[in-house]
Amino acid sequence: MSDAPTTAARLARNPHVGFVVFGALLMLLPVLASSGLLMTSTLMTLGFTLIYAIVAMGLNLLLGYSGLISLGTAGFMGLGAYLAAYVQDDLGLGFWVAVLAALVIPTVIGVLVGVVSLRVRSIYLAIATLTISEILLKTFEQAEWFTHGTAGKQSRYPVLFGVQADRAVVFLIIVVALVLVMMLTHNIVHGQLGRALHAMRASEVAAQAMGVNVLKYKLFAFAVATMYAGLAGALYLFFLKSSYPSTWNLFLSLNVVAMVVVGGLRSIYGTVVGAFVIFAVPELVLKRLPVIGDVSGLPYIFSGVLIIVAIMFFPQGLRGLWDIGRGLLARRRRPAEPVETVRDEVGVR
Amino acid sequence: MGLLQPLLRSLETGSVYALAALGIILVWRTSRVMHFAQGSMGMFSGTAVAFVLNRTGAPLWASVLVGAVVAIFLGFAVDVAVIRRLRRATTVGKEIVTLGLIMVFLGLAPILFGTEPMLLPKAIPDGAITIGDAYLSYNGLLNICLGVAIAATLFVVLQKTKIGLAIRATASDDSTARLMGIPTRSVTMLAWATAGVLGMLAAVMIAPATTVTPTFMNTVQVTALFACVLGGFQTFYGPVLGAYLIAVAGNYLQLYVSSVWGEQLLYLLILLFLLVRPNGLVGKTYLKKV
Repeated sequence: MSDAPTTAARLARNPHVGFVVFGALLMLLPVLASSGLLMTSTLMTLGFTLIYAIVAMGLNLLLGYSGLISLGTAGFMGLGAYLAAYVQDDLGLGFWVAVLAALVIPTVIGVLVGVVSLRVRSIYLAIATLTISEILLKTFEQAEWFTHGTAGKQSRYPVLFGVQADRAVVFLIIVVALVLVMMLTHNIVHGQLGRALHAMRASEVAAQAMGVNVLKYKLFAFAVATMYAGLAGALYLFFLKSSYPSTWNLFLSLNVVAMVVVGGLRSIYGTVVGAFVIFAVPELVLKRLPVIGDVSGLPYIFSGVLIIVAIMFFPQGLRGLWDIGRGLLARRRRPAEPVETVRDEVGVR
Repeated sequence: MGLLQPLLRSLETGSVYALAALGIILVWRTSRVMHFAQGSMGMFSGTAVAFVLNRTGAPLWASVLVGAVVAIFLGFAVDVAVIRRLRRATTVGKEIVTLGLIMVFLGLAPILFGTEPMLLPKAIPDGAITIGDAYLSYNGLLNICLGVAIAATLFVVLQKTKIGLAIRATASDDSTARLMGIPTRSVTMLAWATAGVLGMLAAVMIAPATTVTPTFMNTVQVTALFACVLGGFQTFYGPVLGAYLIAVAGNYLQLYVSSVWGEQLLYLLILLFLLVRPNGLVGKTYLKKV
C-alpha cells in the first residue's frame, strides 16, 4: 500500500503494531485508577465497554460482510458467562478451561442454528437467533443447578498462573483479549477468508459464480460472531464476579447492533468507539446530566435514535465521519497535493 | 380435563398472535421491511390505552379508540419520518431501523406513561359458556371472534376491494405498481397504520393476562415473527394459520410434555420444520432473479 517506507514508518503503519499500542494505552487505565485519577466506577464502565467492543467486533464481521444480523448476541454472551462460572467455580477446572468452554460451546450451538436457518433466507437467522436467545434466557432462569436461577450466579476473580487476580488484573486480561480479537479480525478480513467475504459483500451471486461457497462463509462469519460473544461473556463474568439472567435480554443484543452501526461497518477501531458511545456515554455522561439524567428510558432512546440516524444519514457510522474529517484536514493542509486516500483499517474498496 | 379445554384457550392466545403476525406481514409485503418493532409499537399504544383508562376512568372502548388514534398516528409518523426515506438503504439497514424503533418506544413509554406497571381489565369481566366439559369465558370468546373477524375482514378487503388490489399490487411489485398509477406511498402508510392498530389490539387482548410493562409484548413479538416463518412470507393467510397452529401446539406441548419447556420445545421444532419446508407451510418457492 505504501511506496518505499523506512522500517520505522512501515512499523508505524503495521496495523498490528497499532493494535498493540492501543492496548498498551488502555493498560494505563488501571494505573490511573489506582493512583486516584480515575474513579473505580469509571474503570468498571470502561472495562465493560471493552468487553462489549469484543462482542460488537464479531457482529461487525457478520453484519459488515455477510449482511446478516444476529439477535442472539445476549444469549450467547450469557451462555459464555454461565459456562465460565460453572467450569471455574462448580467444576474447579480453572481459568483456561473456563475460557475454552465459553469459546467452544456457544460456537457449536451457533453453528447448529446457523446450519438450520442460513439455508433458507438470510432474514431467518435474525429470527432464529432471537428465538435461541429467548430459549437461553429461559434456561438461565430455570436451570438452577447451572445458573442459580434468578438469584444470580456468584463467582470470583480467576487464578492465573498461580496468582490470584484482582480487578486491575482482570481489566488487563480484557485488554489483552480485545487486542487479540482485533488482530484476529484484521487477519480474517485480510486473508483468503476476507477476500471471499468481500466478494460476497459486493455481489453474492457473482461470488457464488466464482466458486465462493456463500453458505460456508456466512456460517463462518456467524461462528466467529458467536465465539467472540462467548469470550466476552466469560470476561464479563470474571470482571463483575456475578451474572443474573435479566442481564442477557434482547436489549443487550440490540445495543450491540447499535454499537456496530454507530461505530461504522467493517471498521475495527470504529467498533470500539461505537461501544464507547453506546455503553459508556449513557453511563458516564447522560446519567449525570441535570433533570433528564434521572429519566429511566433515556439510554434506550439514545441508542435507538442513534441507530436510526446512523442508518438514515451516516451509513458509514462514526468511521465515515472520521474519514470525511481527515479528508477535509488533509485538503486544507496541503492544497496543492492530491488528497491522500484514507487508509482503510479493514480494506474496504 | 378433556382435550377441548386447552384447544379453546389456545385459540384465544392464537388470536393475539394472529393479529400481531398480520401486522408484520402487511408491512413486510408492502414496504419489504421486517417489522421487529410491531410488538413494541403495540406495547406503546397498548400502554396508552391503559394510561387513558387508569388516569381518566374512561370506559375500555373509549380508551381503545384513543389507543387506535395513537397507533394510526405512530404508523403514519414512522412511515413518513423514517421508513419512506430509506429507499436506498439495504434490507438489513431497514431491519436495523426497526430494531432502533424498538428501543425508542421502549424508552418513550415509561417517560410518557410513568414507570408504574398498569393493569388493563377484560372487556367482559366475567361469565363463561360451557361446551361439553370445557368452558370458555365470554371475554375469551370475544377475543377469538375478534381475531377471526378482523383477519377475515382483512382478507375480504385484500381480495375484493380496490384498496386491497392496490395493496396486493404494491406487495407483488412496488415499482410496477407505481407505474400503473397506484399511490404506493399511501398504500405503505396505510399498511403501517393498520399494523399499528393490529398491534394495539393484540396488546389490549393479552394485557389482562399480565401487567402492562415496557416488555409485556416481547413474547407476542417473537411468536408473531415465528408465525410468519411457519406460515411463509408469501401469503397473507399463511402467518394467521401459523399463529393459531403455534398457539395450539404450544399449549398441548406445555400440558402434556413440559409445563416449563413446552414453548421452547415448540420453537426448536419449528426450526427443524424449516429444514424440511424452508418456505413455510403455504409458502411458494422463493426464486431470486439475478
